[in-house]
Amino acid sequence: MVKTYHPETLTEALKIRNETHALPYAGGTDLMVRYRQGPGLVPAFDREVMFIGHLPELTKLQEKNGEFAIGACVPYREIIHHRHTPEILRKACSLIGAPAVQNLGTMGGNICNASPAGDTLPPLAILDTHLTLQSVSGERQVSLLSFFTGPGKTILRDDELLIGIHFRLPHFTAEGYRKVGTRKANALSKVAFAAFMLKEKDMLADIRIALGAVAPTVVRSRELENRLIGQPLTDLANLMPDLLESYGTLIQPITDQRSDANYRKTVSLNLIENFVLKEES
Amino acid sequence: MSQIISFTLNGEKISLETDPMRRLLDVLRDDFSETGVKEGCGEGECGACSVFLNGKLVNSCLVAVGSVHGMNVETIVHFKTTPAYRVIEQAFGDAGSVQCGFCTPGMVLAAYALLKDNPNPDETDIREAISGNLCRCTGYNMIVDGIKLAAKQGNGKW
Amino acid sequence: MKNTISTPVDRLDGPDKASGRAIYTDDIRPDGLLFARTLRSDRPRARILDIKLPELPDGYFIVNKNDVPGRNRIKMLEDDWPFFAEEVVNYVGEPILLVVGPDREQVNQILKSIEISYEDLPPVLSLEDAITAESPIFGDDNSFAAYEFQKGDPDSAFDAAKTIIEGEFKTGYHEQAYMEPQGMIGSYTDGKLTVTGSMQCPFYVKNAMVQLTGFPENRVQVIQATTGGAFGGKEEYPSLLAGHVAMAAIKTGKPVKLVLERGEDLAVTTKRHPSVSRYRSAVDENGRVTAMEADITLDGGAYAGLSAVVLQRALFAAIGVYNIPNVIVRGRVLATNHVPSGAFRGFGAPQAFFAVEMHMEQIAAELGMNPLTFKEIHLVQKGDTTATGGVLRDEIKIREMLNRVLKLSDYRKKEGMFASRKGRFRNGIGLGIYLHGCGFTGKGEEIIQGTATVRKLAEDRAEILVSNVEMGQGAQTTLRKIVATTLELPIENIDYPNPDTDRVPDSGPTVASRTVIIVGHLLESAAKELKARWDENEVLSVSKSYRHPSYIQWDQDKLQGDAYPAYSWGVVAVEVEVDTLTYETAIKGVWAVHDVGVAIDEDIIRGQIEGGILQGLGYASIEVMDTENGAYRQRSFTDYIIPTAVDAPKIESELVDNPYEYGPFGAKCAGELPIAGAAPAYAAAVGHALGIPVHEIPAKPETLIKRVEK
Repeated sequence: MVKTYHPETLTEALKIRNETHALPYAGGTDLMVRYRQGPGLVPAFDREVMFIGHLPELTKLQEKNGEFAIGACVPYREIIHHRHTPEILRKACSLIGAPAVQNLGTMGGNICNASPAGDTLPPLAILDTHLTLQSVSGERQVSLLSFFTGPGKTILRDDELLIGIHFRLPHFTAEGYRKVGTRKANALSKVAFAAFMLKEKDMLADIRIALGAVAPTVVRSRELENRLIGQPLTDLANLMPDLLESYGTLIQPITDQRSDANYRKTVSLNLIENFVLKEES
Repeated sequence: MSQIISFTLNGEKISLETDPMRRLLDVLRDDFSETGVKEGCGEGECGACSVFLNGKLVNSCLVAVGSVHGMNVETIVHFKTTPAYRVIEQAFGDAGSVQCGFCTPGMVLAAYALLKDNPNPDETDIREAISGNLCRCTGYNMIVDGIKLAAKQGNGKW
Repeated sequence: MKNTISTPVDRLDGPDKASGRAIYTDDIRPDGLLFARTLRSDRPRARILDIKLPELPDGYFIVNKNDVPGRNRIKMLEDDWPFFAEEVVNYVGEPILLVVGPDREQVNQILKSIEISYEDLPPVLSLEDAITAESPIFGDDNSFAAYEFQKGDPDSAFDAAKTIIEGEFKTGYHEQAYMEPQGMIGSYTDGKLTVTGSMQCPFYVKNAMVQLTGFPENRVQVIQATTGGAFGGKEEYPSLLAGHVAMAAIKTGKPVKLVLERGEDLAVTTKRHPSVSRYRSAVDENGRVTAMEADITLDGGAYAGLSAVVLQRALFAAIGVYNIPNVIVRGRVLATNHVPSGAFRGFGAPQAFFAVEMHMEQIAAELGMNPLTFKEIHLVQKGDTTATGGVLRDEIKIREMLNRVLKLSDYRKKEGMFASRKGRFRNGIGLGIYLHGCGFTGKGEEIIQGTATVRKLAEDRAEILVSNVEMGQGAQTTLRKIVATTLELPIENIDYPNPDTDRVPDSGPTVASRTVIIVGHLLESAAKELKARWDENEVLSVSKSYRHPSYIQWDQDKLQGDAYPAYSWGVVAVEVEVDTLTYETAIKGVWAVHDVGVAIDEDIIRGQIEGGILQGLGYASIEVMDTENGAYRQRSFTDYIIPTAVDAPKIESELVDNPYEYGPFGAKCAGELPIAGAAPAYAAAVGHALGIPVHEIPAKPETLIKRVEK
């Protein structure tokens, strides 16, 4: 039986985290599955656990002039129902599990779980999201992309908590989101795709593309995006073969019980090409 | 390490000394004999273990009981005594929504969770609202019909 | 004309189920209950060299093969399947022993501390392995059963053919995915064994317990608990679990419960047999199939189970709904080191219907004919013969049904319109035409001779005594409706408690879509007689036993004659839209017409039809189960995906009235029928959308993308 903590404030939580390195438990939707043992058996957590899902400091969602600050423990359902939530994020959150899971699961949990298939990660990646990590000794801001070091692995120190998720809604003329799962609802992703595009007159002024479930961590490359930025729209089709080949090397999907590498890669490239050329997803 | 966990269960304040990492599902079934809360998968896929936590539909297999400290848990045991339940039960009966019944208590709670926020749901709303409640018997359409009928007969009084 | 019996009533089991009051196996908690968990093989084929058991705390027990009081074999067709592994394990998940005790955590700890050492043996992991294996698992050729029969003179027809067309068709595993996992409780008091649990066939379980224990019949009692779905998955498998709790109860003297966790249920219980079917057809100059040869191979897994009968039903369905004058059908079930395959709604027929329907599509395509027209000209009529030479004596309304489906779905128009569609989204429409032989195959009904009883309890009350169970399919409502209508009593005044083998006669198992047509008919006759004799006594029972109608001729050795007493029929059209970016398929519409004789209750029939069609669509599309080193790769509902409400299409469904003389109120069978056509209709629709033949299900996007993009 592991020891558990139920702090009343963030300050108390940070103190406990500092002293015990207890595993933060927000919504529990990933942890309770990961450690489950079966009916009537206590999930086999291997370290101390700290419940943080109820902390008021972590459950606020604020929007001011296009600046978003989402508390790490805001459940998906609240993000979906918030009137200012960017459509792309709303869509991603509403395709995670089903309502009962969305009422529990949190965006902070999705990020810290660091699953290659984490569904909020591609939209957050193209939103240039930053994370606030706090400990008793201070606070630091890191970019979402630098947070992940591998499947299930992040730079979060064991005295830190992810407390907030920050981004600014960019100006764009088209957006695309596509989750490819085995079924239409309540499925894990085989491929997830998110993109923004800004066209100015006949030129591509900006583009951002991210893919999930096709590499150890979410895939986004500013370098490849830069190849398209500033190009005349009429040239995009000519640039595609080289671009797709380059994306092909970034995408390193696996074959598992849900899909295979060939499928994940082909679909990823299909989605990129189709979005860039047709603005569809 | 056992801890005292206090929460409200079906309107009654309770305290129990237990391992906080136990699944709420097990606590309800084993400690409170709430056998209307079913275990179909144990991983949040099927919805048979649905309960309301602070008024929101959740899968009790995904909830560590320690996390509900200070919260309000409502199960089918209490919900079945409400007028809203009677509307749904009748509508499910009229529409032929019930077959093996294992998913049904969860389905009933998911229907109510929808109707109290959205008393006039369209077909898509209904299907999304029960997308976390698996049923292998009906093909779902007769459940969707049951929820439509409940919406009509409940007439906004949720 | 509308039959009054068909008018829907509210299901009698609805309120208890909706409110959570209904008690399923895991909800039963007797005093002193012990919990059991199973230690299983993690090898596909190995010799057990040694089992290291820890010191057991007081009150904890190990139950294994040494605790078998009678015979360590589940009573089935071959009696080859042990309750607990003996010297050798033959599949991943095979039970070796149970750990039993009062605390589940402790049981789990003990289970984890047991060490087994094995000597691996060369496993048989595919049908190819099964044919070439040097050391067979079963018999001397790894074949659990092999049959061959013919009609007419196929050799001459093939010799005279203008064209011969061949094809190979494959189907995968299919999991029943009942919502309630399997579970059993055993108790042993004063020398009497009682087993209660989730099951379709109380007397199968009872007979298995008698063989296991060697007890006389009066010392074994089996009671069905509310059963949360079954679909065939709770036909034979519950006998294994029952044996485990029985032995544990006898050993400990306490009630013992064994409920499978979902992942365990997926990993170790029976599934639909994967199949490979090779077809070959002779076509004459008029585009008529003059002869068809079908060769169906099923993967039976490690033990024989019910595989032989599953194969029979597959073979008898091998030519579908078509009038083919010359036929040769052969098939076999091979042994592999996979989990034993078993009963699942349709029982072999879905594999055969997939193959024959896709083969008919294939022939039409290769001849340059329209597939619908091609199927239409081959449809059977009254008086034609089946593959086994049985005569289709009853009215056949399949043409009328087909025309109705074509109209409802606007088939002809869509068929032409979709074929020319270009661009990202491609639509397709496909058709499945099918039948289901009602009741047991061959002489089955005659052999088991089911008996059903109706008992007058009071002036206005009667009771149904049968061994058939409510498992979601509506037996509680349909059987009571049959008796209530016959006795002219309100349906609420007919009792029908869950079967208890101490109280009910053996009316046979709840399988083969036999409950209404066979048992319902016995109840109808019993109720008629009871009504005539109502005033004889305050309490009065009338029992009726099955008698095979004399016109039915069947030769079990030659597999010739009437394989079934009657047939139900169906036609289904499925429309899909494939996104050629991802090869995901959305089902845009389903239209179906069925002939089930007379519906005992239109709502219950609708529930069977819609549930069956969706299960069939899942089989054809998203439900993927495959193996790696003999173990299933999909062991959770996250990985074995069944359709949600968002995936489920609307189904426009109608019935035609076609009363059957020997069915209650004219009813035939309905439970399994609707699953047979959905898969071929779906595959044909996907093929139509993409312009490629689809000869394998599930038609995964991963497979489609390879075929189209390369």
